[in-house]
Amino acid sequence: MDIIACIKRVPDTSEADAIKIDSSQRDIEKSGLAFKINDWDEYALEAAVQIKEKLGGTLTAVTVGSQEWNDILRRALAMGADTGIRIDHDVASEDPHIVALILKTVIQRLPYDLVLFGAQSEDFGSGQLGAMVAEMLGIPHATLAVSLEARENKVHISRELEAGTLESYTIELPALLTIHTGINQPRYISLGGIKRAMRKELQVMSPNDLGLSVDMLIPMVKLERLELPSKGKGAELITGAPEEAAEQMAKTLKEAGIF
Amino acid sequence: MMSSIFVMAEHRNQALADISLQTLSKGRQLADQAQTELLAVVIGKDTTAYAEQVAKWADRVIAVKNDRLEEPLAEPYQKILALLIKERKPKIVLMGHTSLAMDLAPPLSVELEVPLATDCTDISLQNGDVIVTRSIHNGKLNAAYSFAPCETVIITGRVGEFPIEEGNRHGQIEEIDFPLEEEFNYKKFEGYVAQEVGGVDITQAEVLVSVGRGIKEKENIEMVQKLAEVLGGEVSCSRPVVDYGWLPSERQVGLSGKTVKPKLYLALAISGAFQHVVGMKSAKMTVAINKDAGAPIFKVANFGIVDDLFKIVPILTRKIAELKDD
Repeated sequence: MDIIACIKRVPDTSEADAIKIDSSQRDIEKSGLAFKINDWDEYALEAAVQIKEKLGGTLTAVTVGSQEWNDILRRALAMGADTGIRIDHDVASEDPHIVALILKTVIQRLPYDLVLFGAQSEDFGSGQLGAMVAEMLGIPHATLAVSLEARENKVHISRELEAGTLESYTIELPALLTIHTGINQPRYISLGGIKRAMRKELQVMSPNDLGLSVDMLIPMVKLERLELPSKGKGAELITGAPEEAAEQMAKTLKEAGIF
Repeated sequence: MMSSIFVMAEHRNQALADISLQTLSKGRQLADQAQTELLAVVIGKDTTAYAEQVAKWADRVIAVKNDRLEEPLAEPYQKILALLIKERKPKIVLMGHTSLAMDLAPPLSVELEVPLATDCTDISLQNGDVIVTRSIHNGKLNAAYSFAPCETVIITGRVGEFPIEEGNRHGQIEEIDFPLEEEFNYKKFEGYVAQEVGGVDITQAEVLVSVGRGIKEKENIEMVQKLAEVLGGEVSCSRPVVDYGWLPSERQVGLSGKTVKPKLYLALAISGAFQHVVGMKSAKMTVAINKDAGAPIFKVANFGIVDDLFKIVPILTRKIAELKDD
């Protein structure tokens, strides 16, 4: 089975104290931020590698981004991808329609039975890309897959609905799925694995190479400005050394009648 | 005058979804401001009851019926909505950002070649232009978006962001028996799978000690268990803890887990992503312990400590035990 996994690089903002807006008001200050593969995409890659291990075939990892994005392709190669393709295009705050069009154009040149995406990204979280690409390719899709069993010409999946309910489908291949976290346990990648992947060649192409001209890549949705969210009422912070803070917290809970 | 606003109302388990009352309320407000019509669209096998309910918000209701629409499935919904949108040309098509919309809205926007903004926390009209707000980077920034000039924009709204305002309209109901010829055999619905039921019902607990990804490994759950025990409560968690297999899904709080209303919700190393907060914001008292001072959980908490949970939790457990004995 030939599988394509589309992946993205994101800033790790989960524990970043303060994200700063840059002078354009449309982007964040990148300096000082660590970057990583999007969480959901790592689950998608793992799902792809597991299918390849079971059924054989090829796995191609594709990304759309600048040169720094090569690091996530290396990671994909270290996990088990055969080929890494990067389309050199700055997508910092791009309309998903544009990225979808680029990805669709790459994918349709490759052999594929199954295309996998992460269900959403950690930074913008639109959750649009995979399902858009499926529509552009004219193949069936399902988003939010939390289980996946691949056979020769079809996949059996369940997808997550609200409040802990799942629904299951059998989908004929070729098809596109977006993968939710928790579907598997992504494998540990050693530094040695990444180093070995450094030796593999990545394919880099421009939108122009794909026959996409600038006027075909005009966004319909435009980011106007970034703002810090309102602080809200906010928590009353209990400060001090751990011993004092914990004691004060215990007293606060007692006064509130919790115990 | 702006052309109409569509709101697609969703239903699950024989009831209108809460999110649809929220999007209908928002749609009503936008329609009033723009002095245009609000059209509610309900799709299903038998939509009569839903149509009467949504008519309270709408000027008109389009109730689409077909025997094959028992379950809300993206493919037939897309076909129906695409036809309705082409025919009636609404300015805004609004739906909830739900699992159905995740499957449905992106292909619909591609088919119609119209812009899409998903998971929006606000929608406003400024000089006739539609502006939406989205929450990005783990809730740490808001982004405002505009749209290129176009006939229609599709917007999905975040669950819990639009307050429900009772409707007082009596919209006219237009029933359509939709001929659905396609078979959609390439994607076969096999049924629903309910979550497995275990021994614990966290929705009944008066105290929940809830852990996030920052608990780092399964072995550390025991420390949290002790704190829960001394408080007479249960341990719950955010999604990553279930994803990593550290706790069973029956203990998960949030959009894809349980909705809880305990007397005390003690959030340990939980960042407070909206998917989590949706499930616990009705707690009477929320306390957060997190080493990230910028974590959104501090916005919804009453009290907080900015520190490492591994330092605080053992001491807190001991102090509570001591105070109990006093």
